[in-house]
Amino acid sequence: MELLLGAGVLAATLRLATPIAFAALGGVITERSGVTNIALEGCMLVGAFFGIVVADTTGSLPVALLAAVLAGTALAALHALASVTFRADQIVTGMALNILALGLTSYLNYELYGTTGTPADLPEVPALVLPGVAGLPFLGDVIGHQNLLVWVMFAFVVVLQLFLFRTVPGLRLRAVGEHPRAADTVGIDVRRTRYWAVLASGALAALGGVYLSMAVAGSFTDNMANGRGFIGLAAMIFGRWTPVGALVASLIFGYGDALSVSLQGVSIGELRMPVQLLSTIPYLLTILAVAGFVGRSRAPAADGLPYESEGH
Amino acid sequence: MTATAAPSPTGPATAPSVRQPTSQWAQGPAIPVISVLAALVLGAVFVAISGKNPIEAYAALLLGAFGSPYDISETLVIAVPLTLAGLSVAVAFRTGLFNIGAQGQLLVGALAAGWTGSQFPDLPGVVLLPLTLLSGVLGGAAYGGVAGWLKATRGVNEVITTIMQNYFIVFVMHWLLQDGPMSAPNALGTPASSPIGAGAMLPIIIPNEIVPLSRLHAGILLAVLAVVVFWFLLWRTSLGYELRAVGLGARAAAQAGIDPPRRMVLVMAIAGGFAGLAGMIQVSGLFHRVYDGFSTGFGFDAIAVALLGKNSPVGITLAALLFAAFQRGGTIMQSNASISSHLVDIVEAIVLFVIAAETIVRAIASRRGTPAEAL
Amino acid sequence: MTALVEMRGVSKRFGELQALDGVDLVVNEGEIHALVGENGAGKTTLMNILYGLYRADAGTIRIRGRDVRIAGPRDAIALGIGMIHQHFMLVPPLTVAENVVLGDERGGPALDTRAIERRVRALEERFKIIAEPSARIEDIPLGLQQRVEILKVLYRGSDLLIFDEPTAVLTPQEVDELFDIVRTLRGEGKTLILITHKLREVLAVSDRITVLRAGKNAGELVTRDTNAQEIARAMVGRELRDIRVRERKRGGRAVLEVKALEARSDRGTAALKGVDLVVNEGEILGLAGVGGNGQSELAQCILGLRKVSGGSISVDGTDVAHDGPKRTRRRGVAYVPEDRRVEGLVLPFTVADNFILGKQDRAPYARRGILAAAAIRRDGERLAKEFDVRPPDPAVIVGTLSGGNQQKVVLGRELSESPKLIVASQPTRGLDVAATEYVHERLLEQRARGCAVLLISSELDEIRALSDRIAVLFEGRIVATLAASDATEERLGLLMAGHAA
Repeated sequence: MELLLGAGVLAATLRLATPIAFAALGGVITERSGVTNIALEGCMLVGAFFGIVVADTTGSLPVALLAAVLAGTALAALHALASVTFRADQIVTGMALNILALGLTSYLNYELYGTTGTPADLPEVPALVLPGVAGLPFLGDVIGHQNLLVWVMFAFVVVLQLFLFRTVPGLRLRAVGEHPRAADTVGIDVRRTRYWAVLASGALAALGGVYLSMAVAGSFTDNMANGRGFIGLAAMIFGRWTPVGALVASLIFGYGDALSVSLQGVSIGELRMPVQLLSTIPYLLTILAVAGFVGRSRAPAADGLPYESEGH
Repeated sequence: MTATAAPSPTGPATAPSVRQPTSQWAQGPAIPVISVLAALVLGAVFVAISGKNPIEAYAALLLGAFGSPYDISETLVIAVPLTLAGLSVAVAFRTGLFNIGAQGQLLVGALAAGWTGSQFPDLPGVVLLPLTLLSGVLGGAAYGGVAGWLKATRGVNEVITTIMQNYFIVFVMHWLLQDGPMSAPNALGTPASSPIGAGAMLPIIIPNEIVPLSRLHAGILLAVLAVVVFWFLLWRTSLGYELRAVGLGARAAAQAGIDPPRRMVLVMAIAGGFAGLAGMIQVSGLFHRVYDGFSTGFGFDAIAVALLGKNSPVGITLAALLFAAFQRGGTIMQSNASISSHLVDIVEAIVLFVIAAETIVRAIASRRGTPAEAL
Repeated sequence: MTALVEMRGVSKRFGELQALDGVDLVVNEGEIHALVGENGAGKTTLMNILYGLYRADAGTIRIRGRDVRIAGPRDAIALGIGMIHQHFMLVPPLTVAENVVLGDERGGPALDTRAIERRVRALEERFKIIAEPSARIEDIPLGLQQRVEILKVLYRGSDLLIFDEPTAVLTPQEVDELFDIVRTLRGEGKTLILITHKLREVLAVSDRITVLRAGKNAGELVTRDTNAQEIARAMVGRELRDIRVRERKRGGRAVLEVKALEARSDRGTAALKGVDLVVNEGEILGLAGVGGNGQSELAQCILGLRKVSGGSISVDGTDVAHDGPKRTRRRGVAYVPEDRRVEGLVLPFTVADNFILGKQDRAPYARRGILAAAAIRRDGERLAKEFDVRPPDPAVIVGTLSGGNQQKVVLGRELSESPKLIVASQPTRGLDVAATEYVHERLLEQRARGCAVLLISSELDEIRALSDRIAVLFEGRIVATLAASDATEERLGLLMAGHAA
């Protein structure tokens, strides 16, 4: 029981879900505006890397975080340029950017740090110790010592949920993603809306990345994101393109991850637990979700389709 | 990504044209050549900015890929599975489908082949090798077919399915090889399967006297055969005609009686088969067992190969050779010139980007006077 | 009466097509003005220019006596012009109220749903246009959706409302309700322009009428002083051309029998509401009608490209209503589709490859799944010559051919195997005179051979020149079937516009 629902597992769930959730939130924003951003993985990676590099060169945590966000936004800007302005194939450019991010960060990692790896004593994002709660027996272990960025993630979930469904800009963004021509005919700037959405997604994914490098690991290793950008997309789909849904999905996926660690080495009778199979759950669930076997999953109608304004 | 769409009677929407260039200008080799050159130039700029010598970098790259017979042999070793993976992606593109799942299909093929080869180690080669080959191909085909079936029956976007499938099989493989039913001890101590029987191995085809320690195996012959099969299938069979028609004119094909949904399953299975063969070759020719985490990274390269090669047999072969040269040259460049081999990733990404930018040209060209739909 | 809108000398060209040629339009304040014409007359283009979706090549626009430049919808909206499009510009998952205020939400960044719904409700009460503000667009019927479009326009304070074919998706009852709304709006001082081809609407609600024909003015009428015949004549009248005189055959046995056919359009509305028609062997049945009345859906149903929801279709006695295209074609049905570039041809394929589209899996073009290259090339040469494709080279990419030659390739494919029934949908659309002649010759040839031809066309000339009998399709039903000799232009014009002759 301890292995399944112990404070350790639940705390790990939050830790593991956070980067996924950041990516998923980014995905929700862009796809709600009608742009597919497969490059979230890449944005995560550059966020992770440039956070570390700037932390190393400036020694300042806030500056490093800012740099990370800017890096992710810059990569996303390339995607926006290609997809929104040039109406290029969003999947191909997304893939290209992922490869670019991987190549770039690994290349620079090698150039700057060679084989010795990133320095060990870099500033880290601190944990947020909740006064009062931290001391409590069960709850305190689960949420009392989580990293600051975990709470930032929660905050963003709330902010984005409100933004999308309770504000006018959010309404317009959703309109752009569902029926860009209708939005265009009432005077909404489709391109500008989409640009902002893509840039925001890059920033969010970068936060997820810098969480990995500067809150969890304290260093950068090649290909650090390791597919979390894609799991984030899966969480977005499974979460039905809403911020809260994305969070729930990320928590479920994070839980699976946490279990695969806590159940490692455990045997049921003769058989070892196939913990690796637990890691397949996010992908399996997503396929089932999009195939309609698990509820109705409907993307924004204009998602992934370049928009051409009427010729004059 | 667009998750679900009712399977329309006219089949898949024709894929955006960058995946299947149709304009006259785009037909020739102009764009691939330009994109590679542009990428090399930008790569050189990048190297220079980071304080290293681009000439040195590219020289090391070139030498690493083609400098000696051994280098050439190593480049070919990479080119073989890459070509097959490229064929996998290309055959799907031809029908208007995007097969991102070549990587996953490759692994399934490898696992299937590895299993077959190790389960019957005493069978003679003349039986075991074809059997192993068949397992690899069928394994990949089944995996690809699943994505095709989901698309045909439930309208699920194959991009999503295949990406998910890629990750799915990686973890299944972890389990199978780390402490699952297929794991077996080996000299390196890394998670891997039992070795395959001698009969399942593809022999090295370059004798030691010509190139000592060459790893180039008979898989290259299979790859050549696969390229021919690809060409024959698409341009000499009725099925191939139908696939190309659906990819280039789905509605015209539909009204002529070509049934898109059924084709989708078949195409994805064929695509999976090519990739599965790549996996089998890696096992039978190179590693002789399945190592956990081997042969990653073919999937994305395969997409670049297919796009650069314009989904054509000759193009894919050349593009695969190019990217294989990059990869091989890159490793040597890193060890000899101390420039990160990841430079080739950067170059590759730029190539893809420039190819995607072809749509700009097309977009400008199509603005010239198309009549409005309704007057 | 003061003129609210004055458009003078408006011209617009799209590539080779001159959509509008020096057109004038004067709409007076407070009136309901009908803009009438067949397909291709230019009505929608003209209004798109007024609304800023297109820019005219030539001509001036005056609003309330002042020259204006309308560069986009925003300018039009600022001038008080609103458009209710034929294809609604509504966002399905959003509510009625959200759609009405989208883009002009008024108020802070927070979305005050209650305030918005209140505002919309007030608007609805003022103009007597009722639709539940909190309902989602995707949950309400098309008739109600149209009201939301109208509310959108009124919300922005439009004084001039342009309706593009407003009754295309409405039930008869909804049409009456729309007329009430239209009259109420006029009562409130609004000016309305109705784009339509249906005489019933024109006569029921309009004050004045402008008729367009082939991109030019064809008449300005006052509704009170005119009648259906006059309007119809203006719509379709043209210089009399030599009608081909030929031997009028009496039809043989029935090849195509369509009974009580029902089918839905892509938008979910009823496109075919019980179509009955018969085409006999050795005859050409011309199906006349303005586009959008079910023609495309009918052709698609016959070929098996669209689901039939009621009734039957039989070819030579066999029921094909639920067969797919492959099976239907095997019964001897040939199809010349409306849009040759998208439906008729695979443009990047060669001429020879296009000749075998649909036949690629049987002899002589394939044996056991393998293409017979020699046979394909040989027949490609033969058919290219026989059907006068220029250049007669089977290896040429079809996309590079002119429209006329492309259509010849389609004909070569469809007509070369002695079909029993040919469904030809707008076969000469976009073709020059010579190519049109050629197509007509081949169709007549097939008729002489004993083939049954269903000719679907919005070109009245073509229908009258080729058909033995003519059926008129209006709002998803055949409203009349006439012998060619009885089908005067005036009569056809009336029938096509929904007026019982």
